[in-house]
Amino acid sequence: METINKISWEIRNDIGIITLDNPPENYLFQPDFVPLDTLKKWTSYDYLKGIMICGAGKHFSGGGKLENLFRMIREQEDISEKMEKGKAVLEHIENLDIPVIAAIQGICFGGGLEIALASHIRICAENALFAFPEVNQGVIPGLGGTVRSYVKTGFPNAMKLIMSGDMINAEDAQEMHLVDFIVNKHKVFDYSFTFLQKLTRDRPLTVINAVMKALKNARSLSMEEAMKEETRIFCELAVAEATRRNGSR
Amino acid sequence: MEIPVYSTIRLLLDEGTGLLELNSPPSNAMNLEFFREFGNAVDFISSHEEFRALIICGHGRHYSSGADVPVLLKEIHENAETDKNGKLLNIPDFLSKNYKSFLLLESFSIPVISAIRGVCLGSALELALFSHFRLCGEEAVFGLPEASFNLAPGLGGIYKLCSLSGQAFALERVLKGSTFNSEDALKHGIVDKIVPKRALLPSAYNFARQVMQDFRIEKKGLYVKKYLT
Repeated sequence: METINKISWEIRNDIGIITLDNPPENYLFQPDFVPLDTLKKWTSYDYLKGIMICGAGKHFSGGGKLENLFRMIREQEDISEKMEKGKAVLEHIENLDIPVIAAIQGICFGGGLEIALASHIRICAENALFAFPEVNQGVIPGLGGTVRSYVKTGFPNAMKLIMSGDMINAEDAQEMHLVDFIVNKHKVFDYSFTFLQKLTRDRPLTVINAVMKALKNARSLSMEEAMKEETRIFCELAVAEATRRNGSR
Repeated sequence: MEIPVYSTIRLLLDEGTGLLELNSPPSNAMNLEFFREFGNAVDFISSHEEFRALIICGHGRHYSSGADVPVLLKEIHENAETDKNGKLLNIPDFLSKNYKSFLLLESFSIPVISAIRGVCLGSALELALFSHFRLCGEEAVFGLPEASFNLAPGLGGIYKLCSLSGQAFALERVLKGSTFNSEDALKHGIVDKIVPKRALLPSAYNFARQVMQDFRIEKKGLYVKKYLT
């Protein structure tokens, strides 16, 4: 197990586990809650087939302490650079070519919710609570949360979440597609870990990587471009599979 | 206008509504000849204004079991250019034509309705996903099983599933390659309506006649609400 800035990393079988490890609320110290270089090192093991992100103890994360950010501004630090670093970390997570599941229980606020939204699948406990409380201190989510929540939940839901700062429960979060699955509160880690294992155990990494790349294209390219790439990715797998079945050409 | 005769497809026209029937019994598997003929049929329909709506269905009990994988692999093996490390240099022409014919189908200004019963797997589901509307029977079986053959969907299935049902559903179904039933398909936005099996084609014709009057794809939600709920 490795730990940096109260974020810990371990590998169980072929699944990597990132734990937001600053209990009880697992507040994040800075926008790049884990340094990008560290995250890249952790996620570069070539036998990893999936990653689970979770919080230590009862909560996922209460997000960043905005007071820290305001203090940095008073001390004339360049916070836009910090925010860019935070965005790069979330983009790295979102663009990984193995599946990332956020296993959420308790509170999932602000920066915590931004991390969850950058994951590919969100599984939460029935007692989970979600919010973007930034507006209460006169700011808005700044790591892509406004965009990602809009893409997943649609305009009215995202607007309400961001402008009101109100908390919503697991059921409402699922109703608006902010989370994908709700499970019993004592089972969220086991369920998520097993879900990842079942998803990936019978598949070679080439296939997992191919599917994740195609999904990334679906998020980021026009339909025509994404289609062309999907056919190319299929073709690469087909060449490899035909060679495997028939011997070399 | 003389409607061409194909060997793997039956194309009919009745009072403005075209019927494109996948016709390679028993399961209407999509072989190379099918894809070639399908491309031609889509071109033909797009250049004839007599078609004012199009229904796509399968002959017999099934929509289609999808592409014939061994045949497809052999064809790609023979046609794909690779460098000395086995890296792909180009997408074989026949594969590019396949996805382009799906894109052309979707760009039609007439309503395209897939009427799905029985199995609808792999490339067949991809074809259905490029229709504007999908009606299905009660016991239809859907899925993108490509990953279980060490492949991945390659004709827009991942793109479409992701945009219709969200990333989590697409990721799970595509990686597992597992099938899902009509109720799941409806719940996740993959079909617009479930109808009793026997009423499937009549319902599709009925719907086609209602929508062809002033079809605009932006109004899809409205048509579904008005005619399919």
